[in-house]
Amino acid sequence: MSEVTYYFLGFSAIYVLMGWALYLPYRVGQLHFLIVACMAISAYFGGYAAKEWDWPFVLVLISGILISTVIGFIFSLAIGKAPCFTVVIVGLTSVFIVKTTIENWKLLGGTIGFFHVPSVTNILFIMYFLLIITGFLIYRIDHSRLGRAASVVFVDREVAITLGVDIKKLGMFFQITACAIAGMAGVLDVFLVRSLSPEFFTFSMIGYLMCILFVGGHTTMWGVIPSAFLLQGIPLIFSSNIASWRQVIYGALLVIIILLRPEGMITRKMLWNMKPKVPQQAINK
Amino acid sequence: MEIFIAQLISGLALGSIYVLLVTGFNLMLLVAKIIQFAYPQIVVISMYTYWWVLQFSNNIFLVILAGLSVSIILSILSEPIFRKINSTPGVDINASFIASMGMAMIAMDIMSHSINYGFPVSFPYKWIGGSILSFGLITISKGQLFALGGGIIAVLIFFYLLYHTNQGRFFRAIAENLFAASLVGIPIIKTSIFSYLIVGILGGFSALLFSMLIGSASPWLGEFVALKMLAVSIVAGLGNLKGGLVCGLILGIIESIAIGYISGSWSNVIAFVVMLIVVLIRPQGLFGTKI
Repeated sequence: MSEVTYYFLGFSAIYVLMGWALYLPYRVGQLHFLIVACMAISAYFGGYAAKEWDWPFVLVLISGILISTVIGFIFSLAIGKAPCFTVVIVGLTSVFIVKTTIENWKLLGGTIGFFHVPSVTNILFIMYFLLIITGFLIYRIDHSRLGRAASVVFVDREVAITLGVDIKKLGMFFQITACAIAGMAGVLDVFLVRSLSPEFFTFSMIGYLMCILFVGGHTTMWGVIPSAFLLQGIPLIFSSNIASWRQVIYGALLVIIILLRPEGMITRKMLWNMKPKVPQQAINK
Repeated sequence: MEIFIAQLISGLALGSIYVLLVTGFNLMLLVAKIIQFAYPQIVVISMYTYWWVLQFSNNIFLVILAGLSVSIILSILSEPIFRKINSTPGVDINASFIASMGMAMIAMDIMSHSINYGFPVSFPYKWIGGSILSFGLITISKGQLFALGGGIIAVLIFFYLLYHTNQGRFFRAIAENLFAASLVGIPIIKTSIFSYLIVGILGGFSALLFSMLIGSASPWLGEFVALKMLAVSIVAGLGNLKGGLVCGLILGIIESIAIGYISGSWSNVIAFVVMLIVVLIRPQGLFGTKI
């Protein structure tokens, strides 16, 4: 496999995971950018533990997920049912604080970054295996009572409360799950690239994740998949001159999709229409 | 003590610019019903315009006119986009935030590619000016004086417009209840466009004061300012104009005092940590939301 294909497949998988991490809390109307901070913390922890303490990959992965889960849990206690923009600002400030901390911490390489993380054989295979498992779990959540409750919260919080939905617990559950997925994505990322830089976890990354979620479609979990692969492919499809303007392309896509198709490319209604219909004669019988 | 007083003055100057920014942001939120995350990018583009015109002209009025015009034009150009988004059935205020984030990405990338090869620009000394008053360690620069004085005057004019004119009454009526405002015959679209105009003026003026105070501009400045503006707005309570006034000043003071005592980029973190703690303790804001 060529290096380009290897990294394309690897990054696409990571961004599908991050897209799902953003998708889950948005089911209850919360844009949870804390996932980017969790990804950074788990990635740096994972990289450091593997390089300096010789921890095996499985232990690093579990620890990375646990750390992000704990962070997600602590924050969710305060913002479990907070309005969207409160959650947004908690996420944005956390990303900035984590990034500055990493930049000023010499142990983690400061602004230069962190290199020579040990390699893991078949990392791509492991990534796609974990991607399928995560996708299956999200599919089960989506089609469970929790998923239906989340849909009601998204449409009307007051109705959800009237129906007996505990919006705080539901919000906490989605936020914690999202942080756990982001932690996993962080560890996988560090073993894919084998180096880290604080410049990776910036406003651009948040914008990119927003683009993946909203261009693909925020009403189903499937929208993130084509969107992550397509957007990751932009630098490969276009010449380097055009590809260097990819932030403009992502930004324009975000504006256009909100203007023309606010639910994104793949919508729930579209999936519903694709389901095989029971013939009218069978119903009459 | 002298360091503290010097940083306090600097903080008040910086805070008065934050107040202007948050006021513009809140006006958009209350009247146009949008979260304009790209507003600080308009401010930065306006700063670049001041810098660019200063390369060719020494005429201060021409420079100010150019910067203000760019800010007003960009603000008004975004109006049809947000109107279209708001009129789409089933779309809430989050959509305007997402679209404006896209706009911010476009603006930032264009600035980092096209202007001065992406490097930060510095304003000439004649623009920033030197120190006007000096007592020991306490120094008041021309930029600080203009930022503080200009900020106070702009806010006073804005609040006069809001509470003592018909247009201001229209703004407040729409902010309270859009449907009821339309029932009594308030021209909703016209008032909304007027709010974009006011926000454009506030943005251009903030850019003017910012450029005089910090003396430089970079493509990434908008990102930091957007973060601070949104944070102040949420800490104060979304749409709370008076809360934004208090919290904007407090942020400026905290930031400046942190710069005085803590080295490097940690000083910025202090302000964000304080805001994060406040938001975690009171997610609805200190003064309550108005939307």
